Amino acid sequence: MTDTTALKLENLTAKEKALKIIYAVFRVTALITLMIIFFPPLNPARITTEITKHASLFTTTFSYNTITDTLGRSIKLNYISINTIYILMVSCAIILIGVIAICAGACLSLGNKTAKIKGSWFPIVGSILILAGLCGIYFSYIRVKNGIRPDKVPPNLSYSYYLFIAVAAFNFILSITIRALLRQDKKKQPFKIEQKYTLFLMFLPILILTFVFCYLPLYGWRYAFFDYTVGSDLTWKNFKGFYWFTFLFKNKETFNDLLRVLRNTLIMSGLGILTNWLPIAFAVFLVEIPSVKLKKTIQTLTTLPYFISWVLIYAFALALFSTDGLLNNMLSKITGTTHNTNYLQGDSWIWLKMLLWGTWKGIGWSAIVYIASLSSIDQQMYEAADLDGAKRFQKINYITIPMLMPTYFVLLMLQIAGMLSNGLDQYLVFGNAFNMDKIEVLDLYVYDLGFGKNNNMIPISTLVSMAKSIVSVILLFLANGASKLIRGETIV
Amino acid sequence: MAESILSKKRSSVFKKSPGDIAFYIIDITIFVIFTLICLFPFYYLLINTISDNNLVSKGLIILYPKGINIKNYLALKNVSDLGNAFLVTVLRTLIGTALMVLVSAYAGYLVTKEQMWKRKFCYRFIIITMYFNAGLIPWYLNMLMLGLTNTFAAYILPGLISPFNIILVKTYIESIPKDIEESAMLDGAGPMRIFITMICPLSTPVLATIAVFGAVANWNSFQDSLVLMQGTPELFTLQHRLYVYLSSATNLEALMRNGTVSAEVQASLTLRIVQYTISMVSILPILCVYPLMQRYFVKGIMMGAVKG
Repeated sequence: MTDTTALKLENLTAKEKALKIIYAVFRVTALITLMIIFFPPLNPARITTEITKHASLFTTTFSYNTITDTLGRSIKLNYISINTIYILMVSCAIILIGVIAICAGACLSLGNKTAKIKGSWFPIVGSILILAGLCGIYFSYIRVKNGIRPDKVPPNLSYSYYLFIAVAAFNFILSITIRALLRQDKKKQPFKIEQKYTLFLMFLPILILTFVFCYLPLYGWRYAFFDYTVGSDLTWKNFKGFYWFTFLFKNKETFNDLLRVLRNTLIMSGLGILTNWLPIAFAVFLVEIPSVKLKKTIQTLTTLPYFISWVLIYAFALALFSTDGLLNNMLSKITGTTHNTNYLQGDSWIWLKMLLWGTWKGIGWSAIVYIASLSSIDQQMYEAADLDGAKRFQKINYITIPMLMPTYFVLLMLQIAGMLSNGLDQYLVFGNAFNMDKIEVLDLYVYDLGFGKNNNMIPISTLVSMAKSIVSVILLFLANGASKLIRGETIV
Repeated sequence: MAESILSKKRSSVFKKSPGDIAFYIIDITIFVIFTLICLFPFYYLLINTISDNNLVSKGLIILYPKGINIKNYLALKNVSDLGNAFLVTVLRTLIGTALMVLVSAYAGYLVTKEQMWKRKFCYRFIIITMYFNAGLIPWYLNMLMLGLTNTFAAYILPGLISPFNIILVKTYIESIPKDIEESAMLDGAGPMRIFITMICPLSTPVLATIAVFGAVANWNSFQDSLVLMQGTPELFTLQHRLYVYLSSATNLEALMRNGTVSAEVQASLTLRIVQYTISMVSILPILCVYPLMQRYFVKGIMMGAVKG
């Protein structure tokens, strides 16, 4: 096998050993280079402080709107020329192409000798492109510096500019070294990358997407440790450490709020857990119906509410229960006196009402899992029970229900693990000033804190989110462990 | 398989005693009542939007429509924001779902290839994201940092990776006999070729299922529009726009009345009627497609249930 991976480290020459190490360093550097173009704090293109702090190099390249959001007025008044912006964006694009070239080189380095050699040109060209783009950025910086109104458009060349120069130079040195160390074999092999690496490279975009949208938000947890309001900086001056933790408990108002919200959340989840046997009853008794057509029709029609949004359900609630809704109309007709209670406003029985709406929406859907489980029960058991003279309810009690227990248990554990998450939509649309006290669950509370009128609550909102995530994961572990103990299997 | 349990006729081995008949009557009655409860709100809204508006305002339309007309629906064309929201939602459903299905199929297929370097790590990397959630504010700040707020791309890009769907596709592909793939590889086909010409056609059941789930989720999307599009009302989704109309719609009547509708219709429009009509418009596509979808989501739950 000429497979390079089969070679052990001791059998390689010094050159090849060095190459292996340098390649590892190079690939890591390429990854880091790729990541920093998405990082707003490290944006070298922020040549004036008027460009938003939230723009990364990537955003500056493509999003004209992001730049003109803050600079729009200055451009109109000619404090800064529009050409400067164009030069800036083109330079950013050149840097981006350079970074892509470096990454392409890193990808090709996973191939065989020919692939490596062909690929070794990419990082060299890439680093040069990055340096060229950085020159372009410097050029636009000079134009801003020499602008008419430095007070309106203050020039700014952050340390990230020099960081990028360093990164580009480092890449250049690495790639030149690699090129020098690589030597073509006497028999030139055809271009080939092993399949296991090509598969990985094909999967790489998926990994990147997942990272950007699922892991990167975790970086936002740092806001819980700073004194942050919209538009302020995250500097060490603002660092508050665990201040917000203690604030949550010391400040009476927020503490009471939190307790109230937790009470609401646990009650709603608790009610859900108490009624989670309803889908089983639904499935069991649906199957008992003698007509096949009727069974299927009922199943289809009762699953319909699952597919509409909570906004629409609120529209139904308005149609039926508001002051001019159906209920009031009927009551007026029947009793002769006008009724116009707005059933949606008060907070009487609100938890029960929310539970009923939730059940109405979800029971058909939840029953499907159980109906599917029922179909896998061996029919011979029922026939044997018939021979023993079992009646209908005895059969349900002794055969059907026990066979459904495993599925029920898993769903119960998942429900317990998800106790703190009730969803936002339902409680947002039904919430109003009158029932907010009782209807505000944790998800809604986090939303109100973060997007509400009070700007100082973003750290607290982040903190509560963070705590909720961590507690949910712990609950999931506990549920998993309980499942292992009781059933012998984990649910995850 | 779910078909079979519902298709099974009750064995006629046992005699039908009066107790049995009583049970059947009670059973069927309860379910029929519940089904009617499920359907009634839809029906009520429908008849109230196609009936004579004067009767509706007096609360007279309860069980059947009177004075059927579709003037309310025609009058909707004056509500400019609604057309926009509808268009945005339709585009999002079509493009977002198609891309999500493609990406899920692609990812699900690659994960089944055991030769892939660090396959276990890649798979776990994706699956673990199902179990934690960074939170609303961190997610919003992330989108802000990526420059995706107030753009249409924010509707499509985050939804591309759906770990649950990837699991479904992976499980399904693993159940396809391996000889098919192996013989294709012997013929010299690469992974992409096999994926496009063989795996995708064979996986249409599971792909149709996740397409149904994805399409419904996209159509009903509300939260991301609420949080991300605060600067661009023209990008609101249909449900978000409906929510705006339901909760704070003082201008709605004025909007409708300024249009090119006949005077008599204008006079009869009330806030409620307009809200009902817009609500019906937002469900109508789902109602139309629903009977076709039914097959797929039942199958989908079973696939998910078998896995979990």
